[in-house]
Amino acid sequence: MKRLIAFSLVLASLFATAAMAGEDLVIYSGRSDKFVKPVVKAFTEKTGIHVTLHSAKSTALLNKLRLEGERTEADLYLSNDAGNLQRGSDLGLFQPIPADLATRIPANYRASDNTWLGLSARARVLVVNTHSPLAKQLHSVFDLAKPELRGRIGITNSANESFIAGVTVYMLTAGVDATRDWLKGLQRNAELNVFNKHSKIVKAVAKGQLEVGLVNHYYIFRHLAKHPKAPVRILIPDQGPDDIGVAWNVAGIAISKYSHHVDAAQRFVDFVSSPEGQRIFAEVNREYPTRPGVPTAPEIPPADSIKVADVPMEKLGELRNATLDLLQEVDMP
Amino acid sequence: MSAIASARPRHTSGGAWRSAFHKLGQLGGLAALLVLLASAPLIFVLYHALGLSAEQWFHLWQGRLPRLLWNTLSLAGLVALFSLVLGVSSAWLVARREFVGRRLAIWLLVLPLTIPTYVFAHIYTIVLDDDGWLGLAWQALFGDQVSLPNLYSLGGTTFVLTLAGFSYVFLLVQAALGRSTQSLEEAARLQGASSGEIFRRVNLPLLRPAIAAGLALIVLHVLSDFGAVSMLRYQTFTLSIYLQMSGRFDYQAAAGLSLVLVLLSLSFLVLERFFRKRQRYYAGAQTRQAPRKPARGWELVLIWGWLGTIALFGFLLPLAWMIAWSWEAWLGDYIDVRFWSYAFNSGLVAFITASLTLLAAFPIALFHARRQNVLSQSFIHLSSIGFVLPGPVIALGILGFVLALLPPLYGTLGALVLALTIRFLPLATQAQEAALQQLTPSLEQAGRVLGAGPLENLWRVILPVIRGGLASAWVLVFIDALKELPATLLLRPTGFDTLPVRIWIEASEEMLEMAAPAALVLVVGTLPAIWIMLRSERRPA
Repeated sequence: MKRLIAFSLVLASLFATAAMAGEDLVIYSGRSDKFVKPVVKAFTEKTGIHVTLHSAKSTALLNKLRLEGERTEADLYLSNDAGNLQRGSDLGLFQPIPADLATRIPANYRASDNTWLGLSARARVLVVNTHSPLAKQLHSVFDLAKPELRGRIGITNSANESFIAGVTVYMLTAGVDATRDWLKGLQRNAELNVFNKHSKIVKAVAKGQLEVGLVNHYYIFRHLAKHPKAPVRILIPDQGPDDIGVAWNVAGIAISKYSHHVDAAQRFVDFVSSPEGQRIFAEVNREYPTRPGVPTAPEIPPADSIKVADVPMEKLGELRNATLDLLQEVDMP
Repeated sequence: MSAIASARPRHTSGGAWRSAFHKLGQLGGLAALLVLLASAPLIFVLYHALGLSAEQWFHLWQGRLPRLLWNTLSLAGLVALFSLVLGVSSAWLVARREFVGRRLAIWLLVLPLTIPTYVFAHIYTIVLDDDGWLGLAWQALFGDQVSLPNLYSLGGTTFVLTLAGFSYVFLLVQAALGRSTQSLEEAARLQGASSGEIFRRVNLPLLRPAIAAGLALIVLHVLSDFGAVSMLRYQTFTLSIYLQMSGRFDYQAAAGLSLVLVLLSLSFLVLERFFRKRQRYYAGAQTRQAPRKPARGWELVLIWGWLGTIALFGFLLPLAWMIAWSWEAWLGDYIDVRFWSYAFNSGLVAFITASLTLLAAFPIALFHARRQNVLSQSFIHLSSIGFVLPGPVIALGILGFVLALLPPLYGTLGALVLALTIRFLPLATQAQEAALQQLTPSLEQAGRVLGAGPLENLWRVILPVIRGGLASAWVLVFIDALKELPATLLLRPTGFDTLPVRIWIEASEEMLEMAAPAALVLVVGTLPAIWIMLRSERRPA
């Protein structure tokens, strides 16, 4: 028994030290590993700085960062959602990024105090089946709540970060009451077609089981890359002169307030906001680079052709709880 | 340590506590210390819950509690019911009938334990998709008109959690049936009892402790399950608490909900104890085991039809899915050195956790087996904290505890192992306690009379007798630690990924090719542990 204890303790201490990140740059990443690894690889090749990726859900990592306080090993925080980034800023978990780096990104895609930068943007769009008459009739996300669309639409559940961020945008642009009514209509129309994954919505639309779905733009192109002949296409909603414009969200980065490798962390931010880094970061997921002038993936509609809802990304964090309250109030699945 | 402990008459007055404390002894002191450590997460919860104002409690009560209560209780009840049906029927068949492939059947009925609930949920959502295996089979059978069963529901979650849990009932009941000797049954038969009557009036009462323990395990697993309910988005207390904490940073509301869950689970445990009360049976000198009746012809077909169906959904289908997608991953060159390091990390954490948990549980279980008093009973209850609190809450509690009292431990494997040990302590305590129940007081007394000191008695009398129970306890903890997700997600050292963490990440990103091999390695890695357990059960105690 005693030997067993001793053995366990030795093992524990041994591996406890071995597992510590040491001198590596530590990134808490809430973004898909698959999309982060290429950037990290290019960064390490260029600078010789090694990176430890600690992946989990964005919100959980932010929680961890907050609990750890100054004991955190994280140098950088990467999130798929501006709401989480702004939340971290509000909690005082980040430090400002030097202005010369921050100003590479337009003001509406970063925190006003430069505590985080948006790196790639995604649009909340409709995916439509090209054989469906709706492909020509729909213009707005608010059309999804029309009674005649019952059973024809698909949405994700309301725990999805992109869904939440989208609702925040609609709340700010169309008002709380209109959004509440819209959510109720959506709930009725989607009834049995509430999915846990965006890709399942695109698949269902491609198969003709559904006619339209509310998704992030890149899911459509991801599906088309695998099935080039699939009868789906993107429909960018709310583009008329009086319309609110399409809802937009960014994935972005922040430097931890308690980072012990500030220089290296800034070099990483420098790299991901450089044209080269921007290209890798955005293109792997067919998103829009936030730095002006960096080309997008050829298959997606160019950013300058799209009217974007006039909501600063900061608001996505500030109003997140209000959005969650609204979703809970209407008992959104 | 007091000289000789036997099954004492129970005190129920307040004096019971005083006398219990008086006779705490070294063993009791050690047990008390361990129980205190295990209660750290509970203290965290109480601390945060105290911050809730009456108004906030009222709001909580009005808003979500009734629905959460209903969701959680109905799920736990249904899973317990179905697990009982599957577990007891299959255990009885393999313990009382001799048939071709009986040992294979035992394996197939235990193997579902190797598959984590979230992997079950993940796999069944995919195979039940309309282009999944079962989806296609369904449409071939019923046509397009009948819509596929919806897994994102009470029924679906029950299905998944039953498959993931019924093996606990199977294992415990089967072991108990194997132990129960033939003399009682023969005596009943001589008195003219029919086989149905024998089952009802002899076997069932004897099995009650095993069934109760199995159901307790299952209900507690259901109450604290995080992986499956979050994948299936079935709102139980645990999921709601997690969302409250991680989505809204609202620790107070989360702590309030946790407290309700704790009370719920504890009252369930007390209830379970009540049903088990006075259920101590000692095997006499006669250890002739009941023979297994050979099954042939139609009976054989029926037996395999039943067991085969359970095994198909509980293990074979998920296994086939894992193999198919792992093959894709292999072809796609996704399996690299890093992948094996995840497997190594998982094994390491589970090994250390299982060993430490076993050590920590022993004084508590032994203390209770010796004393059987209110104090030892309350130790057992308190050490169940790990099961009644959801994994994410335990992780948070330990995180707070470690940051406040043992900061150097933070970010090391130590913090993670501590959390997992607390989390799985009840598993080991329960299993050891059940094993210690076989230790007849006369055996220990004999040792003492022959001049053995307390330690020698422990080493030469107690340990050999409960060896099988210890092995089962180690294996149960090892398997659960290997599959553990929520605490590992929060407390793992930076960059330290285990297989469940990878499965979680890849599954949420729909990288099926990546999730499958990790799940497969998890299953394969558990096989030796299961083998140890089944082997030790076969040995006569």
